[in-house]
Amino acid sequence: MSTELYDKLAQSVIEGEPDDAEEIAKQALAEGLDPLTCINEGLTKGIQRVGELFASGEYFLPELIIGAEAMKRALAVLEPAMVGDQSREVVGTVVLGTVEGDMHEIGKTLVGTMLVANGFKVVDLGVDLSADKFISAVKENKADIVGASALLTTTMLQQKKIIEALEAEGLGDQVKVMVGGAPVTESFAAEIGADGYAEDAISAVDLAFRLIDAPA
Amino acid sequence: MIKLNDRKASIQPIKSKLKISILDDQEIQQINENTRVVLAEIGIEFPSDKALKIFADVGADVNFEKQLVKIPADLLDKYLATSPRQYTMAGLRPELDVPVGSGEGTYFYCSGEAPKIVDFETGERRLSVKKDIENHARIADYLPIVSLLWPSVSASDKGATSPIHGLEACYNSTEKHVESESVMDEISARYAVEMAVAIAGSKENLRERPVLSQLLCCIAPLAQDKGGIEAAMVFAENNIPVGFMSMPTLGLTAPPYPAGALTLAMAETLSGIMLTQIINPGVGNYISINPGIIDPRTGVYFMGSSIAQVTNVAGIQLSHSNGVPVLACHSFGGSQYELGNWQAGYENLYSHFLGVMAGADMSFGPSGMYEAVSVLDHPRILFDREILKGIDEITDGMEVDAKTLSFDMIKKVGHHNAYIAQKESVKAYRTMMRQDSILYEDGSAEGRKWRDPVVVARETASWILENHKPETLPSDVKAEIRQIVTTADQDEELAKAVRGH
Repeated sequence: MSTELYDKLAQSVIEGEPDDAEEIAKQALAEGLDPLTCINEGLTKGIQRVGELFASGEYFLPELIIGAEAMKRALAVLEPAMVGDQSREVVGTVVLGTVEGDMHEIGKTLVGTMLVANGFKVVDLGVDLSADKFISAVKENKADIVGASALLTTTMLQQKKIIEALEAEGLGDQVKVMVGGAPVTESFAAEIGADGYAEDAISAVDLAFRLIDAPA
Repeated sequence: MIKLNDRKASIQPIKSKLKISILDDQEIQQINENTRVVLAEIGIEFPSDKALKIFADVGADVNFEKQLVKIPADLLDKYLATSPRQYTMAGLRPELDVPVGSGEGTYFYCSGEAPKIVDFETGERRLSVKKDIENHARIADYLPIVSLLWPSVSASDKGATSPIHGLEACYNSTEKHVESESVMDEISARYAVEMAVAIAGSKENLRERPVLSQLLCCIAPLAQDKGGIEAAMVFAENNIPVGFMSMPTLGLTAPPYPAGALTLAMAETLSGIMLTQIINPGVGNYISINPGIIDPRTGVYFMGSSIAQVTNVAGIQLSHSNGVPVLACHSFGGSQYELGNWQAGYENLYSHFLGVMAGADMSFGPSGMYEAVSVLDHPRILFDREILKGIDEITDGMEVDAKTLSFDMIKKVGHHNAYIAQKESVKAYRTMMRQDSILYEDGSAEGRKWRDPVVVARETASWILENHKPETLPSDVKAEIRQIVTTADQDEELAKAVRGH
């Protein structure tokens, strides 16, 4: 019975059914299944399959995103039910946001979704964020990577402020910074001392793996 | 390179004899009704207390906490009725005025604002600076197909006041109408208005002849930008035309179906227009709908798809059905292509064909952009121009009358003879085969040697930059504008407003 539910969880992610994923997660808990096992045997296997299908070109981005959404909905049920020192295995933790004065959200959100689908834990802070908010989130979540997005030439220098603030807080060695957005270039990223620049969501995932020295 | 002549700026619309429509009357009515239901039941987010109060005062259903405005259909239509179908966007000379909505044809923008440029000397990509705006404005000023200009790139060397510097760069480099799409806060808007007053000579003159206009981009889905909408309110107060653009990305920021995406786009733009009409009944507006999709594998924004082109044309019909002029919005920098490649050519050709044939009042056009308007390359504007010349010729259609039916000539030439020696053939060839291509060159002066248009375009751009020196503003007005910009540079409140705090 439990194996069947794990498969159903995986399938809800593969087929992109967030409502089903949430319901199956609730059913699993009601039947007394271990939440961490549900995640590892169900959701993680499902999202890995989604990632494979996307990488092979069979799945398009909407299928990837709705798969990640299904996983997120089920995690919201399962993670609070984990006991003791149980924790979900993740590739790394990324704090993500758009810099102060900048309301552009979509590119940053796509990057977040792609990272989730590739096994990262993503803390998406939103838009118009001061350097202080990035710092707080890094500390709170023990982040490995900060991803800062800027879409305007008037706001891209805020990315530098985040890097400076991390240095000032003594977090410079602990956390890597990746930057992106329309006006941002490889050379600008180097100039402000970022650890990496990504042109789009897919290259952001590759970059994140490189930054934490993990196999993609 | 063909011989280019020194000349003063002029503007030339394209008027199409050919017509196209995507939607029939019933479909237009369905989308318009759906738009009104969305506005009445779901509403639009206006994150500005000032705007919310204005809506509340005229009877809209305003939730101040959620910053949400729900607009009954009759209220919307009452205020849309004062938005003019025709008005003027003024140049520095009356001959350069654009009679928006006059039916004279489609007037073209040299638009922007890209953050990057291909350096004209080195060929390397770099962040754009103020000088680049001046240079491109001079090239656009030289080309009659350009009637209106934006600062083509961002003045990234000027920080928070980049939009104000962009306007100064344009006014110093062109006599044509200038529009801003990056003045996105109330304080910057007041400086922009001050500049426009200085150019017009007085506030009253500016109201009569607005030498400035603004385009405000809505935030899809169903929201306005706080800074942008407060800037729009300042412009509207001063009778400066305000256009509203919606950028529904099918399946991302809007429903995947064009009808649903257009419903959102119309709701966003019409709600903005209503606000400006409450503030100043009769101020000029236009609608611009810029549909796009994303690359389904990379997520990269993609303008040049067929479905987006069709959606764009349908948007022209919808805007006109609401009595509002249209800035058609497509391509000329839409997709991910390089200068001179075949994709650039076909996208630009068919998208502008459709826009012109659908009767757009204005259209984005020869801009020199590529990669989703993120990179400017000066010579590319000449390729854009070339494509529009082709569209101009084809949309003239053909004349059918006693002369062109040619019965007498057919009778005279009879059987087995040729028409080449006929007087009418001599005359007709002069008009049918126009000699105004800049880039096509088989160079009689060089022994009929074909030359790469990319090379010719570079030489042409160089010639214009070296030789075309528009007489823009009198020196005292230039000095006044310089002073306004300097004051803006020192305004700490402006810097805070641009940063959003």
